[in-house]
Amino acid sequence: MARKAKAKRREHHNGDASTVARDGVSAAAPVHAEEFTPQIETEIAGVRFQNPVWTASGTFGYGKEFAHLVDLNQLGAICVKGISPEPMEGNPPPRIYETDSGMLNAIGLQNVGARRFLSEKLPFLRTLQARTVVNVFAYSTEDYVRCIEILNEGEGIAAYELNISCPNTRCGGIVYGSDPRLTEEVVAASKKAARHPLFVKLSPNVTDITLFARVAEGAGADALSLVNTFVGMAIDVETRTPRISNVTAGLSGPAIKPVALRMVYQAARAVKIPVIGIGGIASTEDALEFLIAGARAVEVGTANFYDPRTATRIVEGLNDYCRRKRLHLGDLVGSLRIPEG
Amino acid sequence: MYDETAAVIENRDLTGGHFLLSLDAPRQAPAVRPGQFAMVRILGRSDVLLRRPMSIFDVTSKEERGGGPGKVQTLDVLRLLYKVVGRGTSLMAELKPGDKVGLLAPLGHGFFEEEYLPRAHAADEILHVAGGIGIAALLLPAKHLAEAGFKQRLFFGARTKGDLVGLEEFKPLMRGSLFATENGSFGYRGFVTRPLEDYFSAHTNKKFLLMVCGPWAMLRATVELAKRFRHPCLVSMENRMGCGLGVCLGCSIRVEGTGHEAYQRVCTEGPVFWADKIVWETEKRLGIRD
Repeated sequence: MARKAKAKRREHHNGDASTVARDGVSAAAPVHAEEFTPQIETEIAGVRFQNPVWTASGTFGYGKEFAHLVDLNQLGAICVKGISPEPMEGNPPPRIYETDSGMLNAIGLQNVGARRFLSEKLPFLRTLQARTVVNVFAYSTEDYVRCIEILNEGEGIAAYELNISCPNTRCGGIVYGSDPRLTEEVVAASKKAARHPLFVKLSPNVTDITLFARVAEGAGADALSLVNTFVGMAIDVETRTPRISNVTAGLSGPAIKPVALRMVYQAARAVKIPVIGIGGIASTEDALEFLIAGARAVEVGTANFYDPRTATRIVEGLNDYCRRKRLHLGDLVGSLRIPEG
Repeated sequence: MYDETAAVIENRDLTGGHFLLSLDAPRQAPAVRPGQFAMVRILGRSDVLLRRPMSIFDVTSKEERGGGPGKVQTLDVLRLLYKVVGRGTSLMAELKPGDKVGLLAPLGHGFFEEEYLPRAHAADEILHVAGGIGIAALLLPAKHLAEAGFKQRLFFGARTKGDLVGLEEFKPLMRGSLFATENGSFGYRGFVTRPLEDYFSAHTNKKFLLMVCGPWAMLRATVELAKRFRHPCLVSMENRMGCGLGVCLGCSIRVEGTGHEAYQRVCTEGPVFWADKIVWETEKRLGIRD
C-alpha cells in the first residue's frame, strides 16, 4: 500500500495527468470501488503476458541495464534491442538530437549479434516474469531468416518482433516496410522459419497503414506492433550541416503520439490479429488511449530514457483506472465509442 | 547510480551566464567518484524531454563547518557548475531553492585510480587543462589528487574573463595557474594551448600527465600538443545524450577497435578516455557548444 502511494506521488511529480484527473473524480467513485479486482493479463498469439505494458525495442537495452532502477518483474514484456545475424557497430556520431517533445535518432542498429545475444543477454532475461520479445532485423530476406534460425536455438524467447523498417540492400535499398511486395516476402519467409509467434512491427512512413497491416496479416503475421519511428531531420544553421550524421533519422516521443494513435486505430480495424500500440506513450492516459483505440498491448519507448519507471507506473495506473471504472482489460480494448450523428 | 528527485538548495548566479547549482542528494553524493557526471531532468514538462548531462563539479556537506580535524562530514550535497547554452540549461537557470529536479547520478566510469595513478606517480606534475565550462569536470579529480599529495598546475582558457569560473575552489589545490582569454580580458590573449606549449618547451626534461576538458577544437589541439611532447593525456569527453545510462547508444564515439568494439559510450565507458584511444579524425562534428 505504501509503495503504491509513493508511486502515485511520483507519478504526480512527473506531471502525469492521469493521477491528477483521477484525484479530481475520486469523490464520485462508487462505494464498492475497492472490491473490484481488474483482470489485466493479456494473451497474444497464444502467449500469456501478465499485463499489456511492455518496453519498446532500442529503448531498454537487453533489460539488465535497468534492473537496479526498475522492478523488471512488473513489466508485461521487454522487447530487446534489435538483433541482426552478425554484430553491428552502428552509425558515426552524432546519432541523436532532441526536438520539441521528441527526439531524432539514427543509432544505426548497433547490437551484439544473434549468437552473443543468446549467450550473453538471454540467460538473465529468462529469469524474469516479464516475457522476452526479440526484435529482429536484417538487410536481406535471407538474413532475416538466418537471424531467426540462430535465435530459434535459444530458450526463453516468447515471440519475435520483426523490424521491417530496414532497407533491402538486395533491392536497391527500398525499405521493406514501405513496399507491400517486400513486406509480404519478408513476413512469409520469417514466419516459415520462426519457432515462436511472429509480431510484425510496421513502419509509419507509408501512405496507407491499413494496406501494410493487411499484407502482413495475409503473409502470416501473428500480431502487429506499430509504429516504428517517423523519418525526420534537423539542421544546424550555424554550420549548415545536418544535426545527425546519417542526415535523416527516426522521430519518436510525445510529438508523434497523435499520428501513431490514429494509425493504431486504423490498423486494429483493418485486421483480425492483435495489434500492439507504440508511439509517444509516457503516461497511463496515453496507454489508455491506445488500448481504447484497439491495441491489446502497448510499448513504452522514448520515455524510458528520461524516466525509466514510466512503464511500471503505467501498470499501476492501469490497475487504478480499471478498478475505478470496474473494467477488465478485455472490456477496455477497442472500446472506443463514436457518438451517433 | 540512483534515480532520485532532488531539491534545489541554491542556484547561484555567477558571471557570464554561469550558475552553480547545489542539490540535496544524500544518497547520490557519497557515491560520486572523480570524473563522473549527472543527468538532470526538468520535471513536469514534455517539450524539453531529455535529461541534460552535467559534470559533477563538487560534493560537499550541508554542514558548513566541519567542527575541527578528524570530524567526518556526511556528503549530501551535489554541486553542478554549468553554463546556459540551450533550452535545457535555460530552464535550469530558472530553478529556485526548494524546486525539485530529476537527478540520475553518479554516472560514467570517471577517472579510475588504477588507470591514472601509475602515470600520475611517474609524472613531475599533473596538468589540468580546461577550456571554458570544461573546468567543471576537473575539480573533483584535482581534489582527489591533492589529497594524495600530487603536484598540480592549472591551464585555463576561455572566451572572456567572465568565463573563468570555478577558480575559488580550484586555485588552492594548484601550485600555479595560467590563464588565457580569447579577447585578452585576462591573462594571455589567445588560446590556452599557447602558454601550455611554452610550458612544455621550457620543461623538456619533465614528465607531465594531462587531464583535459573543454570544447572540441580545444581538446583536439591540446591532445595533439601533448602527443608532440609525448605526455600522456586523459580527456573528459562530452556528447549529446539520450539516456545517460548506456542503453540508447546515442552518445557513442569512435575509438580504436573494429566491429562491435569500434564505438564506446561517453556515458558508460567514458566520459574519461585516454586521448590516444579516441579516433579523432572521424569526430568532425562532435561537441555541443562549438
